[in-house]
Amino acid sequence: MIENIRDLARKWLESKEVDAIFGLKEQDGGVAPYLFTGRVNGISELGKLTTSTQYRRLCYTCRPSKDNILSLMQRREPNMKIGIVARGCEERALVELAKRGQIDLEKIKIMGIACSQEEAKECKCERPYPNNLVIGERVEGVSGDENINALLSKSLPERLAFWRHELSKCIKCYGCRDACPMCFCKDCKMEQKIFTETGSLPPEIPMFLFIRFYHISERCIGCGECEKACPVDIPLLTIFRQLRRDMKDLFDYEAGIAVEQESPLLTTLDESPMRKEVTSGV
Amino acid sequence: MAEFEPKILAFCCNWCSYAGADLAGVSRLQYPPNIRIIRVMCSGRVEPEFVVKALSLRADGVLILGCHIGDCHYIYGNHRTKKRMAILERILGYLGIDPARVRLEWVSASEGARFAEVVRQFTEEIKKLGPNPLKEVRA
Ligand code: SF4
Ligand code: SF4
Ligand code: FES
Repeated sequence: MIENIRDLARKWLESKEVDAIFGLKEQDGGVAPYLFTGRVNGISELGKLTTSTQYRRLCYTCRPSKDNILSLMQRREPNMKIGIVARGCEERALVELAKRGQIDLEKIKIMGIACSQEEAKECKCERPYPNNLVIGERVEGVSGDENINALLSKSLPERLAFWRHELSKCIKCYGCRDACPMCFCKDCKMEQKIFTETGSLPPEIPMFLFIRFYHISERCIGCGECEKACPVDIPLLTIFRQLRRDMKDLFDYEAGIAVEQESPLLTTLDESPMRKEVTSGV
Repeated sequence: MAEFEPKILAFCCNWCSYAGADLAGVSRLQYPPNIRIIRVMCSGRVEPEFVVKALSLRADGVLILGCHIGDCHYIYGNHRTKKRMAILERILGYLGIDPARVRLEWVSASEGARFAEVVRQFTEEIKKLGPNPLKEVRA
């Protein structure tokens, strides 16, 4: 499959369909994000273009400037047409970022690739394929999540005891937030005294992580990066996965499917757009 | 043991519910003294984070009161409140905090009696639920 990706990338570059390909490059035994340009050396580097489930931060935010890598590139080179090798989750992240004005999808061409059954299992991914599949065979997602079932079978006091234990492990590294493709606010409430106490560990339970649970609730694309990033193994995805189900249930909404689909928090109760009507002067 | 007297925080929007509370006051309607009111310009100003912060700071219950749908002075403020609170309710449940500790109601400026009734009912309900379990978590 990787050969097909490299071939198509070369084709896109040579035909000038894109000016550069943003992907992962094999480097020193590991991988790192890399911009393969249409120049001779960029094209010859394509042999090192690769994919990895260990490193999927292509569209993610860099700290401490809290700028999204892609949005930084697009601001610097607004006319550059970028090709991106993206798995299902990465494509969904791109859709949500575009929806929220972070990137310009017009200038992005997505090479959607399918994940293998093993990869899907590893990520417990419910949708291991992009909306627009270009390379690879689509495999079914993992349905059911024993963590969610276990949580839902608990009584309220048991749930509280569970989270009290889990959240007390938090060392406030902000890894979950920094790894999340949907966390791009410059002024993060998780750092503000008025929302959550500072200067103590564990951080205020459940306030500190509640901020993320709520703030990401309707935009979580279920990529699992937060849980992977957490050094103390807090099962963050249990809540985020369940919230993705809730969004379908409450608002018939799923994040990351189409840019035109407005977030339910930006529409009225009958799901018509709020912003437009207000600005056109009711 | 003395009866449990809950502390309840109410966010009232300036244009309807706060005026409703005011009317309850000038009409000398009786309602439980357990409630502390914070006036906000619109119920849409109430971020779910405010509610959880109130619970974290040991409030036993939180009321959010706004204009009836269609009457919000910022047109869609209360639409947003309603959707936000629906999400909040779910998250509270998963975290093990009874969502019944948080209630959203619409109270207009002329509904002084309704304001008193909502506060009465909610206070009763919180008394039944008992003290906020987060008090222990943060002890
Ligand atoms: S799974 Fe975690 S990292 Fe991925 S979008 Fe959802 S909250 Fe963010
Ligand atoms: S990654 Fe884990 S330990 Fe770090 S802030 Fe998030 S929940 Fe806490
Ligand atoms: S002004 Fe009362 S709810 Fe918006």
